[in-house]
Formats: sequence, C-alpha cells, structure tokens
Amino acid sequence: MPFSWAPMWRFRQPLQLKHVMLYGGVMAYLACSLPVWALAASPPNHDESVARGKALYEQACLLCHGVTGEGNGPDAFYLGAYSAPRPRDFTGAEFKFRSTASGELPTNADLFQTITRGIPGFMPAFLGLSEADRWDIVRYVQSFSTLYQEAGRTPIALPPGPLPATPESVTRGREVYVLLDCAKCHGPQATQPGSLFAQGELRDRRDLPILPPDLSQLSSFKNGHRPQDIAQSILTGLDGTPMASFRETLSAQPEDIWHLVNYLLSLSRSP
Amino acid sequence: MAKHLLFLASIIILSSLYPTPDAQAIPAFARKYNVNCTVCHTRAPRLNRTGERFLENGYQLPGTEDGGTTKKFRLGDLTLDDVTNYLGFRLRGNALRTVDYARHASGTNIDGNPEDRTEFGFPEVFSLFAAGTVTNNVGFFAEVESNLEEDETGVERAFLTFNNIGQHDWAHLRIGKLDPSAYSSYATLRQQFELVGDNSVDNGSFMLPTINRIGLTPAAFASKFHGLFDQSGTAILPTAPSLFHAVAEMGLDIHGRPFGDWFLYQVGILNGANEPFGDSNNPKDWYVMTRFDFAQSDYLSANFSGFAYFGSNNAKVSTMADVNWSRYGFATNVRYYMVDFYAAFVVDHVANLPNSFKHTFDETATGLTVEANVLATDRLLFGIRFDHLDAGGLRTQRTSNSLLALIAKFYVRSNIALFLRDDINLRPAQGGRTPERNFRNAFFVGADVAF
Repeated sequence: MPFSWAPMWRFRQPLQLKHVMLYGGVMAYLACSLPVWALAASPPNHDESVARGKALYEQACLLCHGVTGEGNGPDAFYLGAYSAPRPRDFTGAEFKFRSTASGELPTNADLFQTITRGIPGFMPAFLGLSEADRWDIVRYVQSFSTLYQEAGRTPIALPPGPLPATPESVTRGREVYVLLDCAKCHGPQATQPGSLFAQGELRDRRDLPILPPDLSQLSSFKNGHRPQDIAQSILTGLDGTPMASFRETLSAQPEDIWHLVNYLLSLSRSP
Repeated sequence: MAKHLLFLASIIILSSLYPTPDAQAIPAFARKYNVNCTVCHTRAPRLNRTGERFLENGYQLPGTEDGGTTKKFRLGDLTLDDVTNYLGFRLRGNALRTVDYARHASGTNIDGNPEDRTEFGFPEVFSLFAAGTVTNNVGFFAEVESNLEEDETGVERAFLTFNNIGQHDWAHLRIGKLDPSAYSSYATLRQQFELVGDNSVDNGSFMLPTINRIGLTPAAFASKFHGLFDQSGTAILPTAPSLFHAVAEMGLDIHGRPFGDWFLYQVGILNGANEPFGDSNNPKDWYVMTRFDFAQSDYLSANFSGFAYFGSNNAKVSTMADVNWSRYGFATNVRYYMVDFYAAFVVDHVANLPNSFKHTFDETATGLTVEANVLATDRLLFGIRFDHLDAGGLRTQRTSNSLLALIAKFYVRSNIALFLRDDINLRPAQGGRTPERNFRNAFFVGADVAF
C-alpha cells in the first residue's frame, strides 16, 4: 500500500466499559435535566398554531407531501411510482376526502379526520400526535392555499339513514349500481376493473393511471367503511380522480344511496 | 436439519394462527399502521426517508411518540399490541445458482480449484422478526434467523430502544445485539443485493482458511484482510462484513437529531472482536458517525455520512498477538425520482502489529462500493453495483479485485420479489491460490418474501 493511516485517537490504556458508563451517565443526566421549553403554556393563537404545525409537518408529513405542500416530497415518487395515488397537493383545490360538495375545499374537520384516521394502504393514522398537534397541522396545511381564506365550507347533508341491510335493500342497491353504470370503472361485480380502465381512460390529475379498487375489500374504502363514510364518498365524489359526485343523480330518490351502500358492504360479507 | 425443520414448522404454524387483516399490506409494521410497504420502503429492503425516520424514532411514526397508542389496547396499566402487529417473517434465498471459476478442479473440489457448479438452494434463510414498541419511547427488535447454507440458527439481532430522551429526537438509545451502520447513508442490511457468504474450509485454529469462493458482499463493508483471526482463533474472512458494517455486534449506541432534520449523530460502543457473546479480551470498540441530510425537495433527497470506528485488541494475527483494527470512511445516498444511488468508500487499518509482521503484512486496505437502483415500472427494479477491494493482510495472500453485479427484481407485490442476479469478476484470472481472481461469475435466481 502506498500510504498508511494511523488511528486518529489513541488511549493510554484500552477503553474500559466502566469509563464509558460513567461518562455516558453524566451526559445523559445533563441532557435530561435541561428545561423542557417546548411544553411552556401559551394561549391559543392562530399564528403560533401554524408555526407549531409547520414544525410538526416538517417531521411527520414533509417527506411525502413535500416542502411546498404539492405532494412531491422525497418519498412521494415511491408511493406511486408510475400509478396513482401520489400524496395530496395541498396548494390546489382538489381533495378526495371531504364532506363538502364536489369542487369545494374540505372542512377543517375533514382534514383533521384524515390525519387522525389515515388512509388505508397509503397514510398511517397519526394517533400518536395529540389532538392539539393535529389541529396545528390542519392549520399549517391550510396555509399552503389562499383558497382557505374565502368563505366557510359546509358539509353536504346525507339523506336520513343508514337503512337496514335487508335482502331487499341489497337487491335494490345492486340495481342502483347497474343504473349508475358503476361497472364501467368498478367492473360488473365491483371486484375487477371495468372497461374504462382497460381503455386507459382512468387517470388522476397528474395523469397517472388509477386502478379502481376491489370493492369487496373494506380497505378499498379509503375514506372509511362505515355506511356514512361510503355514502359521503359517493355523494361528494373523489375530486382529482375520475370518481364523480352522484349527488345530483341520486337526488330524485335519495334513499337509494343507502341501498347502494348496503349492496357494496354486502360484497365484503359474501363467502 | 431437525432444528431447521422445527423452526420452519413453528413459523408456518404461527403464520397460520394469525390471519391477515383487511389491509393491503402484509408485514408487521404495515399491518399495524394499515399501509403498504412502499410507505417506508423504496422497495424492500431499502428504506425510504420515512422508513429511516421510523427506524430512528424507535419504531414510532416520524414526529410522534406513538408507542403507547396506535392499534393498542389497555389492560390495567399496560398497553398491549395484537401479536400480528409486531410479528413478521421473511423467507429468502437463491433457488438456483451457478458459479464459474477460471481454474477448475478435476472431479473433486480441491483447495483453490473449485469445480464449476450449478445447484438448487432455496430457501437459504428464514427470519422471524418481532419488533415494535412496549410503550411510548420504549421499543424492541428481535430477529431469529435460520441459515441453511451456514447450518446456523440463532438470534441474529436483538435490542431494546429508549427513544426521545430529553427532548423529541435529541437522543435515542439502543442496547443489545445491533447493526451499527443502520442509520448511515449506506446500511449493511439495506441493499437490493443480498449478502452472499463465502465458500471456504476452516483449517484449524490460527490457520489460514482455504477459500474456494469469495463472499459476494460490498467491498466497502468487508473485512479486507487476509490473516486476521478472532479471539478464538477462527479466521476472519476478507469479504465478511465487519466492524461498523457488522451484521450485528453486542453493545449500545446513541443517535439523534438535536439540531433538526439536517444532522444526525451516532456514537456507540461494542464488545467488538467478532465475538458471539461476551468480551473475552475486555477492551471495547467504539465508533462515531455523523450524517448530513440535504437537498430535500421535490422528489429529491440526498445525504452524506462519515464515520470512524476504533478497534481495541479486536483481532489477532497468527502468532495470537492482539492488534487494533480500525475503520474510517464515508458514504452517500442520493434519490431522485426513480433512481436510488448509494456509495461508500472505506479505509481499514491494523495497528500494533508484531514486529515480525512489519514486512509481510499490509496494514491498510480499502474498499469502494457504488450501487444504483432504478425503478423501471411499479413492479420492476434494476440494480447495478460495482465493488473494488484493495485487500490488505499477508502479502502472500492479498490481492485486489473488482466485481460488477447486476440484478433485476420483479415485485409480484410489494412484499414478494423474484430476482435474477449476476456477479462478474472484472479482473483477469491469475495463477496460484487467489480466490479473488479465480472466481469468474455467479448467476442467481431467487426470491425474497416478507409476511
């Protein structure tokens, strides 16, 4: 070898565990005894909440949703390399999981709920954050878009329900599934992609292909699989995806939404 | 063989006892958090940044201290997880492998002249993992591995973690049998090319082994020296991962990001000396690593880390004299869209050599490893790795080698990979017992499945 590199550090005696334990113990004590500044009480303040939300966002959210909130974080590509979904773009007006009408922004509670419950398959539930922390993140997420400064957002009203999942209701739900032409995307049995997917017409706003989920799996209902959650997704649509709002279509017979929900949930109970 | 069968049977029984929930993901953490593998992995076993932060935080989501909450239930003053939320299983190996040499044996496998061979070998390794959190900021990890090729079953890694000591992300403590390089830019156990052990014959205590085939491991992580032995006199093979890049050693370390996401420190102390349990020579090895994360923007992240590992009486030469074997180096990782690039350059140095070895033992060795993975489709990954080892040790034995490895992995699902791999020796063959040059090519077809 042309060169030699002597060790950078030499001890007069070999390093002993007792020495390390002693020095380590002293350092650990000093670290633990320092004041916990971050826990100091402070009055609720929007700007402070946004600032706290920013700090939390940078640790818990940035790696997927990106510095600018556009959903282009360092890990975003690998979540949906060549197909949807990629992380949500907070700077736009398209949010999938809302209680508001199609085209509207989600309510504060919608954002809070998504952070709390996560999205099956793609985003963990951040239950480890306190409620206050999650609200701070909601406020910081809203700071990515000026659209949030406009008028308040109102959840749509669901028809009275849910209805009991009787055989008749499930049968009617199946009829509604056919009438609404759901099979074009979700397939005749709601378990295999339909013809539009085969034709390559199902794409999200990033032009990434979307595979319609197998609706016999409860985890396919990304916004939750309670009857109310599924009904809400059908009525509001999933903005940014080909899943349109069926609110107008079902307005003539509003109870049909519950029959349809009963049909969809019956698929996961089928043997 | 009986213990292997027992191990396999117990895993199958355990797996069948716990049906998978309705999540798309299968392995333990994915089950617990109800997400796909790709939330934490670029493609397993490589971690993405979220996965790295999850690991650093003691198996808690980045930014949180959720060890006592997510998916847990309370029983008195305990918070408990379902066993499915912390139990995982991995099965991997090369179903078919073909190895060619420059110099062939005639009939039987003799020293230095092994015969070309094609053989079935699946499965090579079963691993059973248990990992998670006991409560907030107290985590655990245990891996029991059965390696059929090496005829070994035992605890591969096992440690406890105490996290967020003082303030969030200030200090995390690991204690147990741990992998020191876990948080560096290029971790030993986080690469698309599985470690392939050498094929060698032990010729007795403090005797040089006969190496028929070199191990196919990153040159940067390798032991690099011919003529070093552990405390019991067993030869340390030149391609075995060691020191900072050991698969596991007993000790403790502390890491943290007290100044924000851009900087990570790690200091640790180990028994060292490649000893499976205890520390017969008493002095400890210690190491320090710093990592700088930068360029965290749209679809881009990069980091750079440097480390120094100081050995103290952690190896012997053939006269049974102790030497101090140390290691210094740096590594980097850049990810941009579908490209995952990582590299490491490492210098090893042996000090305190007996005078009689001064002219016969090369006390410095270097290793360079450069790897890139490209995700061509959602399910298809290509990888390439270049290794250059400038070995040290006994001058009659040492030689340099350069290897190029190629891999194509097809992910049936994010937790099931089938792969083709080829390792090519780029250096010309030469006479004599030089396993680094005699090895010409190895081709593998295998699978890697995690449940």
